[in-house]
Amino acid sequence: MKRIMMTMALATAMFLATTMVATAALKVGVLSDLTGPTSSVGVPYAQGVKDCIAHVNANGGVNGEQIEIIQVDYAYNVQQALSAYKRFMSEGIVALQGWGTGDTEALVKFVSRDRIPVFSASYSSHLMDPSAAPYNFTVAPDYSTQGRAGLKYIKDSWKEARPPRIAFVYPDKPYGHVPLPAMKEYAVELGFEVTGDEILDLKAMDATPQVLALKQQKPDFVWVGGTTPSTAVLMKDASKQNFGGTFLVNIWGNDENLHQMAGAACEGNLGMQAAAVYGQDVPGMALIRELTKDQPQMTHYIRGFVSTLVMVEGMKMAAANGGVNGESIKNALESMRDFDPMGLAPAISFFSDDHRPNMAVNVCTVKEGKMTFLQTVSLPREAKWLGK
Amino acid sequence: MQNCGLFFTSYNGEKQLFASGFQKVCLGLFMVAMLAAPQVLNLYHVSVLNLMMISVIAAVSLNLLTGVCGQMSLGHGAFVGVGAYVCAALAAKGLPFVFCLLGGGCVAAVVGMFFGIPSLRLKGIYLAISTLAAQLILEYLFLHMDFLTGGANGMAVDSPSLFGFAFNSDTRMFYLIFAVTTLCVLAVSNIVRTRSGRAFVAIRDFYQSAENVGVDLFRFKLQAFATSSFLAGVAGGLWAYYTMYITPEQFSIALSISYLAMIIIGGMGSVLGSILGAVFLTLLPEALNMLTSFIGSYAPDISSMTAPLKEGVFGLTLILFLIFEPEGLVRKWRLIKAYWKLYPFAY
Repeated sequence: MKRIMMTMALATAMFLATTMVATAALKVGVLSDLTGPTSSVGVPYAQGVKDCIAHVNANGGVNGEQIEIIQVDYAYNVQQALSAYKRFMSEGIVALQGWGTGDTEALVKFVSRDRIPVFSASYSSHLMDPSAAPYNFTVAPDYSTQGRAGLKYIKDSWKEARPPRIAFVYPDKPYGHVPLPAMKEYAVELGFEVTGDEILDLKAMDATPQVLALKQQKPDFVWVGGTTPSTAVLMKDASKQNFGGTFLVNIWGNDENLHQMAGAACEGNLGMQAAAVYGQDVPGMALIRELTKDQPQMTHYIRGFVSTLVMVEGMKMAAANGGVNGESIKNALESMRDFDPMGLAPAISFFSDDHRPNMAVNVCTVKEGKMTFLQTVSLPREAKWLGK
Repeated sequence: MQNCGLFFTSYNGEKQLFASGFQKVCLGLFMVAMLAAPQVLNLYHVSVLNLMMISVIAAVSLNLLTGVCGQMSLGHGAFVGVGAYVCAALAAKGLPFVFCLLGGGCVAAVVGMFFGIPSLRLKGIYLAISTLAAQLILEYLFLHMDFLTGGANGMAVDSPSLFGFAFNSDTRMFYLIFAVTTLCVLAVSNIVRTRSGRAFVAIRDFYQSAENVGVDLFRFKLQAFATSSFLAGVAGGLWAYYTMYITPEQFSIALSISYLAMIIIGGMGSVLGSILGAVFLTLLPEALNMLTSFIGSYAPDISSMTAPLKEGVFGLTLILFLIFEPEGLVRKWRLIKAYWKLYPFAY
């Protein structure tokens, strides 16, 4: 009985410990998936965020003020994300580094009510429209823009007289569905022939039925809206079945792990990315190498780093304008024009009526087992595409 | 369990929900403490309480179906989702809060009854698979019925208001959720004591005997599905109002499993058990988060190793509960009460 009482007392003490308010600093909440279903990419992204904050603090912080991060691992659980957000709020954060689609969407109304700017790694197009999500920011353009850029890259490299044929493979989840209407519309506009759709679960262990169906459709290109494991399964089975098309993979389906999972089957396929690949010849890579002690990191690490760099720039601009709080950071970000994150990502601008960071997407491929940057594709900032 | 020396001299006395004065005083003190809680707790703690109370409604409703009536359900998360989406859709049309919440509950009840129809022929694991199908079908509908649910983009919901008073902060929402939770818990506590409730228990204990003594199996099973789903829909409505943004991802199979875990850990067939289970499973991840953050603040190098252990600790806790306290937290609570009743004489 005493043990039970002790355990209860300890649990109560731990629960109340969170009420303790630390000393003044610019506090930033970091919502990470370190143990949940997206942890394989969540861990390097969160490390990029933390390393960037450490770098900023070591170099004078925000106008001399240090940034303190409060990190919570919410394991991709929306309920835990909500309580983590409330914990951040009770500790007085001025900005938030968020993570996935589920939590970012669940927090949209909260952050706009509490005036807390959020940088997340969820790139749903409706989060780019300030009329629906005024405090949401990202450093990568939305999935639809990424998809359109991929299609443009293919079309520009297409040499044959006939129209290129494209199929779509995606999970029956919001992440898979979000960019589809936009991509299909743009594909038709560019003169593609859309051959059909196939559903492939994110946890699929076998993609033979999908590959057989694709072989019947005979597409030249297949857009893949999965994550790295499901993409690897698809590519391996396509290779086994001698499928001749090229895969064009969404941002979360191609990274440095793809070659480890799919082996030679992923060679030569295309993938969209929003940040530099480790080792790429850009000005900021020297700093990344120094911070990581020359230990190669996934591109998600660099994106986390860039996301934080842009947020810090917004904080610095807000500080120069008078003071740092959620609203002043948001206003500062909306006046940001062509901010260059040391070449680690295409230049970033936000507008009060358009939160798309840019319309530029890096197209990558896998060459001899290594993820390799090919080209940055830029699209016009069309108002009709905002939020769609 | 009644207190020693509590004797009834009338049937009415025996029928009371709270039989002793001590119970009533404790409940009164608990209610006062709950009402005062948002005034002394910070935003985070109030938010955890809100999430906890929504889980309590869902867990209590599932316990009515699974614990009391013996009808296994793996689709409860989806029924919560139905309530959330209907409530959000009605709220978007400008209908008043009470109407939206009850509307969400009623549609969830109809959906629950529909998916409860197989329960006449199926039981145990077979019914579980049938309700799992309900979960998958409803998840599919949430994602693909764009015109009603917003599809992959989800739906925004405004804060509720009642007689012109907007529940637009965590503290205000706390009182609203607390009121609804109290009503729901009281409703289930009383349903269990009614003729229907006794029929549910008879069906759970042995359906053939129940039928032999005149219990209409189909009617009462459907009634259990309807009542349980109605309350799940109410929980979903509150969730939609509280989070202000709903997407299909929020009502996945993981949610159904977590509700099931709540009633197993709390104690099957017990209202208090479901409350304890909901509280325990809402607090456990928070406590584990705090523990890993605490370790991380003193030993950052170790925290990268301890963080992944969190999920394992969560699973291990569930397993240990099932091994060492299969009757759930409610039995532990009874033992604690018995200990203090006899204190200081242990035997």
